[in-house]
Amino acid sequence: MLMVEGLMILSCLIPAFHFGDGTWRGITLSGLFTLNVGLLMLVRYHSARTMHDRRLAYLLVVLMWIVLALFGAIPFMATGVLTSFTDALFESMSGITSTGATVFASVEWLPSSILLWRSMTQWFGGFGIVLLVLALVPSMGINKYSLYTAEASGADNTGKQTTSTASTVRQTLGVYILLTLLFVFLLCKSGMQLWDAVNITFTNISSGGFSIYNDSLSHLTHLQQYIVALAMLLSGVNFAMLYNLLTFHWDRLRHKLEQFRFYIGLYLVATVFVAIALSTHMGYSAADAARLSIVQTASVLTTTGSLVADTSYWWVPVTYLFVILSLCGGMAGSTTGGLKAMRVLILIRHVRKILRDRLHPHAVNPVRLNRTPVSSHLLTNVMVIFMVYVMVIFAGVMMLMLCGINATESIGAAIACITGYGPGLGISGGFGCYAHFTTAAKLICSLIMLLGRLECLTLLILFIPSFWRR
Amino acid sequence: MRRFNWKLIAQVTGVLLLYLAAGLLLPLVLSIYERDGMQFAFAVSGMLILMAGLFLRNMVGGKAEYRLRQDESYWLTVAAWVVMPLFGALPYLFTGVTQSFTDALFESFSGFTTTGSSVIRHPEELPPSILAYRALTQWVGGLGLLLFVVALLRRLGLGAGSLYEAEFSGTQQRKLHPRLAQSVTRMWTIYGLLTATLWGLLMVQGVGLVDAFCTACSTVSTGGFTTHSEGITALGVHPTSTVTVFMFFSGVNVAILYRLFTLRWRHLWRDGELRTYTLLFVCSVALCTTAFFLEGNGFSDSLHFSIFHIASTMSTCGYHMPVPTHWSFVVSVLTFVLIVIGASAGSTGGGIKLRRIIIMVKYIANYLTRMIHPNVVFHVKVNNEVVESDYINKVFAFVFLYIVFIIGGGFVLTMCGCSIPNAVCMAAANISNLGPSPLINTMGGSLDYAVLPHVAKWTLTLLMLAGRVELFALLAVVSPAYWRLRLPKARRG
Repeated sequence: MLMVEGLMILSCLIPAFHFGDGTWRGITLSGLFTLNVGLLMLVRYHSARTMHDRRLAYLLVVLMWIVLALFGAIPFMATGVLTSFTDALFESMSGITSTGATVFASVEWLPSSILLWRSMTQWFGGFGIVLLVLALVPSMGINKYSLYTAEASGADNTGKQTTSTASTVRQTLGVYILLTLLFVFLLCKSGMQLWDAVNITFTNISSGGFSIYNDSLSHLTHLQQYIVALAMLLSGVNFAMLYNLLTFHWDRLRHKLEQFRFYIGLYLVATVFVAIALSTHMGYSAADAARLSIVQTASVLTTTGSLVADTSYWWVPVTYLFVILSLCGGMAGSTTGGLKAMRVLILIRHVRKILRDRLHPHAVNPVRLNRTPVSSHLLTNVMVIFMVYVMVIFAGVMMLMLCGINATESIGAAIACITGYGPGLGISGGFGCYAHFTTAAKLICSLIMLLGRLECLTLLILFIPSFWRR
Repeated sequence: MRRFNWKLIAQVTGVLLLYLAAGLLLPLVLSIYERDGMQFAFAVSGMLILMAGLFLRNMVGGKAEYRLRQDESYWLTVAAWVVMPLFGALPYLFTGVTQSFTDALFESFSGFTTTGSSVIRHPEELPPSILAYRALTQWVGGLGLLLFVVALLRRLGLGAGSLYEAEFSGTQQRKLHPRLAQSVTRMWTIYGLLTATLWGLLMVQGVGLVDAFCTACSTVSTGGFTTHSEGITALGVHPTSTVTVFMFFSGVNVAILYRLFTLRWRHLWRDGELRTYTLLFVCSVALCTTAFFLEGNGFSDSLHFSIFHIASTMSTCGYHMPVPTHWSFVVSVLTFVLIVIGASAGSTGGGIKLRRIIIMVKYIANYLTRMIHPNVVFHVKVNNEVVESDYINKVFAFVFLYIVFIIGGGFVLTMCGCSIPNAVCMAAANISNLGPSPLINTMGGSLDYAVLPHVAKWTLTLLMLAGRVELFALLAVVSPAYWRLRLPKARRG
C-alpha cells in the first residue's frame, strides 16, 4: 500500500516539473521516504503473515489507514504549504477518507503539485474503501461478498458471481479506472483543460470533494456541472452493478435492484424538494433552481461535498435535508460514505416487519431484500452499525463542543466528517473551511473521519479489552 | 373471523370521557369556591364531555363483545390518547386562556402526554381552577390512560393484558400481582400515595394549597407544568429540594417504588435498571457540576443546579429554574442525550427508556466481542434474565424509529423557521415528553411555545402523542401495511 502511495507522490512530480513551481524537492523527498518505509513494511509483513488472524486483520487495516494518512501528510509539510502538523494530518486524512473537508481558506494559490496530490489521495482513498469492505467483511461473520457484490443474503446462492477476492478487486479497479478515463474525456470534450478535468474527475468519482477552485463547481460551465453530477451519481452506485452493466450481465443486476431503486428514488424526491425550495424561498429562476438542485443533491447524497453554490446561505430546511441525505449515503460497495442505502433500506424493512409481527404474532415475516430473506447476521450488523454511528456522532459533537465550537458547527462538522461529506454547517460549511478549528478539534475531526470510513466497528474493536488479551 | 370490535373501543373511550367529566368537578368546585368566574366554562365543557362520553359508551358502544385483538388494542390506545386530549381542550377554549383552537389542543395534549410544553406565558396570572385542571390532566396521563380502565374491564380477560402491554408497550413491565386488576390497583395506590405525600410535604413547607396540589400532580406524573413563569424556584428553596427528590423517584419503575413502600428494600438494589439509573444520575451530576464549575460558576450554585437539572431531565419531568450565569455547551449535549434516553421503563416518564438502552449497549458490546471471537455464545441479560433476540430486534427497531421521528420532526420545525440545533432539541424534548428544557433556550430557541407557527405546534403535538404511545401503536394505525392486512378480513366479516 505504502509503495503505491510513494509512487503516487512521485507521480506528482510531473506537474511539479511541468509547471516549474519549485516544490519538486519536497515532493521527491517525501515520495522516496514513503517508498522506503513501504518496502520495509512489506518485508515485515511477509514475515508476519504466518500469524495472520482475525485480530491482526483488524489491527492491520486500522494501522494501514492511519499510516497512509500520516505519510500523506508529509507532502503538505515538506512543501511548506502547511506549517502545522495537525493541519497537514487533517488535510491528508480528509483526502484519504475521501471526505473533502479542508483547512485551506483558499486553494488557488497552492502549487499545482499539491493540488494534484490532494486529488490523488481522494482518488486512492475512494478505491481503498471498496478494498476495505472486501478485506473486512468476511471476518464480521457475514458472507464475504454479501455487502459488496450482491444481494444481502450472500452471493453464493446464485453461484454466478466470481468467487475470488483477487478477481473482484480486478473488476472493481477496472470499472473505477474506466469511469475515471471516461469522465476525464467527457470533461475535456466539454471544453475543459486536461489539468482541471483530471483533478475534478479524481475528486468527484471518488466522492471526495476537494476542489482546485475556491468556488468549487460553480467555476464550471453548466454542461460541465451536469457531467460532474453524473460522475458523482455513478460513484454512488455499487461497483459490481456497474461491472455487470458494462459486461452486459444484465440478469445479475436484479440482485441489487431494490437498493438501486431506493438510492435513485431518494435522489429524485430530494432533488424535486430542493428545486422547489430554492425557487420559492431563495428567488432562483426555475432553470437555475433545477440545475443547482440536480448537481448539489447528487453531491450530498453521494457524500462528495463538491459545491455548486455557497450552500451555507441556503434555506435552513434544505441544509438540514442535506445533512440527513449525507447520513443515508449511496449504495453499499460504492465509494460513498454515510450509512449506505442498503442499510437504511434494511432498517426500514425491519421496522415494518416488527409492526407486522405485532399485528400477526404467528405469521412468519422475514426481512426481505430483493425477495431474499436477510440473514440475521447481516440484520444485527446493520443495526449495530447504525447505533454505533449515532453514538459516535453524539460523542463527536460533545467533544467538538468541549473544544469551544458552537452547536451548529459541531453538529455539522461531526456529521460531515463521519459521512465523508466534507463541508459542515456555519463557517465550516459552504465555501468556508475548517481553518478556524482548534488543534484538538481538528484531531477529533480526523478521528471521526477515520471512524466513518472504517464504519466505526473496525476501529472501536481495538478498544475492547479482550482484543488485546491472549 | 370476527368483525373489528369498534364497539368496545367506543365504549372504553366513552368510559374514559366520563372519568374526565367527573374530574372536571374538581376545578369546578375550586372555581366556585375561589369565585374566579370560570365556573360556567367548566360546567359547560363538563356537560359536553359527559354527553359525548355517554353517547360513545351507550349509543355507539352498546353491547360490545369483551374481546380485544392485538390490532384492536392499538386502535384503542390511539383512540384513547387522541379523544381524551381532544375533549380535554374544551375547558381551555371556553375559559379563553388560549388564543386559538391549535393552542388549546397543544396545551391539552401537552398535559395528557405529561410533556409540559406550554403556550401560556404567565401561568401565575391564570385563575387557580385552570391551574388545577392543567395539573390534573397531567396526573391522569401520568400512569397511562388505559390503566384506568383495565381495573374496570375485568371481563376483558386476555384482552386486558394486551392493553396493559400497550400502555407499557414493549418494555416487559412486570406485574405486581398475578391478577392484572390487582396489580393495576396497586400501581394507582402507589401513585396516589406519592402524590399525596408530596402535596402534604409542600404544604408543610409553606406552599399554598393550589400551588402545592399542582406541583405535586405535575411532579409525580413527570409532567412539568409550573404555576409560575420563573419556574419551580418561585416556591422557595426547601420545596425545590423536595420536588427534586420526588422527580428522581418518579423516573423509577412503579413496580420498584411498590417494593420501596412495602419495605422490601433488599430486593431493591438487585434491579439492574435502578442501579443504572442511579449511576447515570450520579455521573451526570458530577459531569454537569464540573462543566459549570470550569465555566466559572460558583461550586455550590453549579451543584444545586446540576442536581435539579439532571433529575428534571432524566425523569423527563421538565421543570426549569434559572440557569447559571455561564452556560456550558457540554451540558447541552449531555442533556440532549439524557432526554433521548429518558426514564426507567414502567415509570411515568418518557423517552426511549433506560431498559432499552441497557439492552442495546450490552448487545453492542457483545457484538464487538463476537467480532473477535466469532464462536462465542452470548446472552444479553437484564436482572439475570436472558433477553430474547426477538426482543432485542424490537428494541433496535424502536430506537431507529425514535431517531427517525426526531429527525423528521426537526425537519418540519426548520421549515417553520427554527435553527437546526433548536429544531432537533425541540423535537427530542417533546417526543420524550419532557417539554421545557434550558437546552432549548441555550440553542437559541424559546420555551414560550406561543410564538411558534401553527404548523410547528401541530408537529410537536404529534410528536408528543407518538412518544407517549411509544410510536408503534401510532404507526400501526396509520401504516398502509396494516390496512392491507386488515381490510380483506373485515370484508369477509
